Amino acid sequence: MTATTAEPRTLAAPAGFLSDVSAMTGRAVRGLLREPESFIPALTIPLFFFVVQLGALGAVAERAFGISDYAAFQLPVAVLFAAANTSGGNALVLDIANGYWDKLSVTPVHRSALVIGTLLGEVVAVIGYSVLLIAFGWVIGVRFAGPEVLGALGLLGLTVLFGVGFAAISVAIALATGSVRATQTAFVIFFPLLFLTPGTLPRELMTGWFKVAVAVNPITYVLEAARSFLFRIDAVVLAKGLLAVGLFCALTFGLTVLGFRRRAKLG
Amino acid sequence: MPIAIEATDLVRRFGEVEAVRGVSLKVEEGEIYGFLGPNGAGKSTIVRILTTLLEPTAGSGSVLGHDVVRERTTVRRLIGVALQEAGLDPKQTGRELLSLQARLYGLRGRVLTQQVHEVTELVGLTDAIDRRIQGYSGGMKRRLDLASALLHRPRVLFLDEPTTGLDPTSRTLIWDRMRQLRVRYGATIFLTTQYLEEADQLADRVGIIDLGRIVREGTPEALKAEVGADVIDIAVDDRESGAARVAILEMQASGELPDGEVRGTATGYTLFLPDGPRMIATVVRGLDRAGITTGPISVSRPSLDDVFLAATGGRLSTAAQRDASMDGERVRSNA
Repeated sequence: MTATTAEPRTLAAPAGFLSDVSAMTGRAVRGLLREPESFIPALTIPLFFFVVQLGALGAVAERAFGISDYAAFQLPVAVLFAAANTSGGNALVLDIANGYWDKLSVTPVHRSALVIGTLLGEVVAVIGYSVLLIAFGWVIGVRFAGPEVLGALGLLGLTVLFGVGFAAISVAIALATGSVRATQTAFVIFFPLLFLTPGTLPRELMTGWFKVAVAVNPITYVLEAARSFLFRIDAVVLAKGLLAVGLFCALTFGLTVLGFRRRAKLG
Repeated sequence: MPIAIEATDLVRRFGEVEAVRGVSLKVEEGEIYGFLGPNGAGKSTIVRILTTLLEPTAGSGSVLGHDVVRERTTVRRLIGVALQEAGLDPKQTGRELLSLQARLYGLRGRVLTQQVHEVTELVGLTDAIDRRIQGYSGGMKRRLDLASALLHRPRVLFLDEPTTGLDPTSRTLIWDRMRQLRVRYGATIFLTTQYLEEADQLADRVGIIDLGRIVREGTPEALKAEVGADVIDIAVDDRESGAARVAILEMQASGELPDGEVRGTATGYTLFLPDGPRMIATVVRGLDRAGITTGPISVSRPSLDDVFLAATGGRLSTAAQRDASMDGERVRSNA
């Protein structure tokens, strides 16, 4: 036993919830920027589809679907598609698998800040993707209905909500399972929802089972609301879109809370 | 001395498996407590409970009088933890990782910068601290992990196998730092290890754990004295026949050899006998008489490994070696 010179005191003090969240968000953003292999495909794949769709159907869209500006019709598809490509759960599940989650958990951090920081990191990523895609659209001549900046901000806001809701799915599965594979494949379950939408043509022209599937898919209404910023801002369409994205987020955040509780119990 | 760490009848089950089966222990402030046992003995589970990462199935634990379940936030401020699997985000630099960790402990401004600098220097990572962690060697990661556990000057430090799989140089450095920490900050250190030498070198007291239970506890010296005998290792030809064991037991029955435990080893037997040096001749003579050829013979004071052997019937050193060689493919488990 060695005598101590003075009463040893720890330097630890309550950091505050906001400080915890901002520290964790900063780390999430640093991680995203340092992983170009994850954000480059998230951006280029939607861009690729956008260009291909435009090339294939752009010229006939007016005659076939009655849409004169097919680029404007497709831009929200690309933006929402990119937003759904976020990787928040992947980063989180790696932390859990390699033990970094434990390392963070032995500090007095508010545990929820670990999850909220990850989701806010995704918000930053979604804003980054969206701004770049909207800028690309602007360069090729896509314009918003009404005041340009307001329309862009509206689309951005809706996309952020949608993107963070989508990220919450993989975060929930990461928390609940701690399995890298499960988290990566989780995306596949929700992926079809992105295609059962009026992505290629307006809903009025659809028929049969597809029309029904599209009508019950909440993402349809998010997409139509996103489009309204480019064509004609319509309060009813917007309200439906906001309601759909709100319900979607409520569902996925609910799952995240369940996953979080389960993780806390597992230790 | 006040109590720094206390566990009372800790039990932890994972499904059917009872990883910890009623462990009680007390560690005084300023003490280095060595927790010794083979892989899967329950060491890490106990550390996870005492560091608030896992709730016990039954029983209770406290750190500096604060319950590890009910007052977990207080406990987290008081302790520093370096876990067995140094989980570090490879995409950050060492400095970013330490700064983030320090912020979560509520450090800011000059104090934060100062502490990051101080712990970096302490573990000898100053040159690498601005590099990304993905380029660090295993030893560097362990040192960074240790540094991150020290940022807020914890009063109690939990180090879960801090040197497993490390090269001798890194190991010596970490031992050296642990001694410094105690002198400098009067920190209490709870150290788990599967290396006997580590416990022997560093610990004021040692608890030996096997299959979820503490089987011996005391100062290394007291534990060795408890064995109450010297250790004679003797190799014999034709070990399988068991003739040597019979001969030895007969010598003990006839009073030629004093009573003491006889345990089989891979090449022969280990005899726990008082007055070992003098007994060697008797043993060899007796075996010779029985027509048994002997190989290398050694006599030593008991080591912690012998304490472990006497308590559990298995050699810790063999288990540790086996585990060390499997280290690369070991999968992470909660136990």
